[in-house]
Amino acid sequence: MIVRRFGVRQSRQLLALNRRSPISSRFLSTETQIPVDTAQKEAPVSSPNPLHEVVQATQNPRSLAQKQFKKQEQQRSKFNKLGSAVTDSHDPEGLLKNPPRPSDITLELLLASGTHLGHSTSRWNPQNSRYIYGIREGVHIISLDVTAAYLRRAAKVVEEVAARGGIILFAGTRKGQKRSIVRAAELAGAYHIFERWIPGSLTNGQQILGHCATKVVNALDEELPEFKADLADRPSVKPDLVICLNPLENVVLLHECGLHNVPTIGIIDTDADPTRVTYPIPANDDSLRGTNLIAGILGRAGEAGQKRRIEMAREGKTLYKPVTASELRLDPFTGVLPGAEQTKGPKRD
Amino acid sequence: MARPTSNGLTKAMQSLRLSSQFSQRSLVPSSRQLTRAYATEAEPETTNTAIQPESIPDLSVQAAPEIDFSTSFLRNPARIVPASPSYFSGSPRFVDHVLHLESLQARYAALPQLPAGEAPRMAWFKLKQFREYVGEAVPVKKYKSLVKILQRLNRIQTEMVPGEVRTVLDSFLRPGNPYAVVRETPELDENGKARAKGKRKESKAVVHLVEGEGEILVNGKSLVEAFPRVHDRESALWALRTTQRMDKYNAWVTVRGGGVTGQTEAVTLAIARALMVHEPGLKPLLRRAGVITVDARRVERKKPGHVKARKMPAWVKR
Repeated sequence: MIVRRFGVRQSRQLLALNRRSPISSRFLSTETQIPVDTAQKEAPVSSPNPLHEVVQATQNPRSLAQKQFKKQEQQRSKFNKLGSAVTDSHDPEGLLKNPPRPSDITLELLLASGTHLGHSTSRWNPQNSRYIYGIREGVHIISLDVTAAYLRRAAKVVEEVAARGGIILFAGTRKGQKRSIVRAAELAGAYHIFERWIPGSLTNGQQILGHCATKVVNALDEELPEFKADLADRPSVKPDLVICLNPLENVVLLHECGLHNVPTIGIIDTDADPTRVTYPIPANDDSLRGTNLIAGILGRAGEAGQKRRIEMAREGKTLYKPVTASELRLDPFTGVLPGAEQTKGPKRD
Repeated sequence: MARPTSNGLTKAMQSLRLSSQFSQRSLVPSSRQLTRAYATEAEPETTNTAIQPESIPDLSVQAAPEIDFSTSFLRNPARIVPASPSYFSGSPRFVDHVLHLESLQARYAALPQLPAGEAPRMAWFKLKQFREYVGEAVPVKKYKSLVKILQRLNRIQTEMVPGEVRTVLDSFLRPGNPYAVVRETPELDENGKARAKGKRKESKAVVHLVEGEGEILVNGKSLVEAFPRVHDRESALWALRTTQRMDKYNAWVTVRGGGVTGQTEAVTLAIARALMVHEPGLKPLLRRAGVITVDARRVERKKPGHVKARKMPAWVKR
């Protein structure tokens, strides 16, 4: 019997029971201790009328859970300041919440993010030899100054395309790239794709993207609902710049971009083909920290470009040729007004 | 900028002026050579000479209001862009929903939550309804992952649910609340009679059960006439037999369709249900006796290429 009880007391199930360990604020505070009255307090005398309790409960039904939560939050904020202050540490959320700007690119940052690590030497693509610094432990090391230069160039390209009102598409279809892609697209006023690229989205766009909604905007990016009717039979929208974080898995996307003359930016590891993309960024595409960094920098570049474009639009200027109202009213396939076909028809015969 | 009061005369004159090329040119002073932006949207002018009208115009007519260049620039279209940042995914509305729900989940992750079984039961859209709602062909697996996020948000402690989350969750609910409908418990009618139905195979039985001396009528015949086999009689009255109520109730049974076994077991189920109306406390006993368990099996349909439901024709060499 005793042995069995001991077993129960020491058992794993008992230890694994989800109980909150009592943290006494006395142990954690630095203030002088206040003498605590350990004598048991009397239980509150219940009121003679049981209805009183009911009334009190109905008056503030949310109070209990909210009070507990508030207390917990207060405790957390109170004790967060305690302990040693850790500096110069990597905050994984920081790259997503506040990505660095193109001007913040340093070799230290790139090195810390692991962008220099290539693949095993046997898997290399010799076209990448000009980006490779050397070999270490059988792994190619990418030259970081080249990475920085190409990354800055890519950032400039993104900024200029954004300033000219181009449609930028961020594509990163690997597991874990979703958040950085969405964040970069949000910053750059761009578009994102984090799941499979549907083959034919460019070459067969009307079939695949035909049902997806588009809108007409003015130079300040405000929607103009009066042109909604003119959008009916328009071809699907094509991107003006595609940024691909994993070109190896997105061969079809890059091929379609090549067919449609859409410029591309891609992270080229030592085993990838740099001629697949227009603007390669030689870097490690297998480290999420590295791809998050690059996506963040390009997102910031796009943000700067969008800001510039909106500022120019406030002054009544655009760097691109805006679509005119008369063009919108024309039939997108024949290039004539919807009512004008009858007059043109006999001429052809 | 004093705008003229819009009476009929000024309106008429304005329209006259707009329609005639002659006076339209004189509207814009040559010094202000900005991007042309009327509501009528004429081409920018090439000549800077403002032509004066020969005759002195009617002095009672007021001049047209000044052109507001700032607003017309905003009214000009500039670009055609996708409505959603997930345009290129092919199902933008669905992806936007998922991203929004994920952001909510991340934002309110710290809120206290209920244990998995205690969350209020919610009737989310069925897949077909959801497809209609977003207007996109969403795959089953992806919809399941969305429902998973909804369930997680639904587990936030009821008093702590933020209003934002509540409205979003409500937008994914099926129209009508199926869990609000409480099935009414059957009761005895004014004559002390309980009515219940039972089904088995192709048979359907209706039983009227009253307190009495144990007289049973099946389709107007006595039990022995209706079910000649002893085994059938035993099983038809099994509910009364196990609870020792054989001589406490009279039953008036109507049973239609099917064969003898089906009819017998349909009667069993109906009598057991009727007995539960009289004495709800007997339910565990009846459950253990196996008389209130519905046997939902039906005859399997015959398939083409098969001899019966599953039987294949015998193999023939030639």
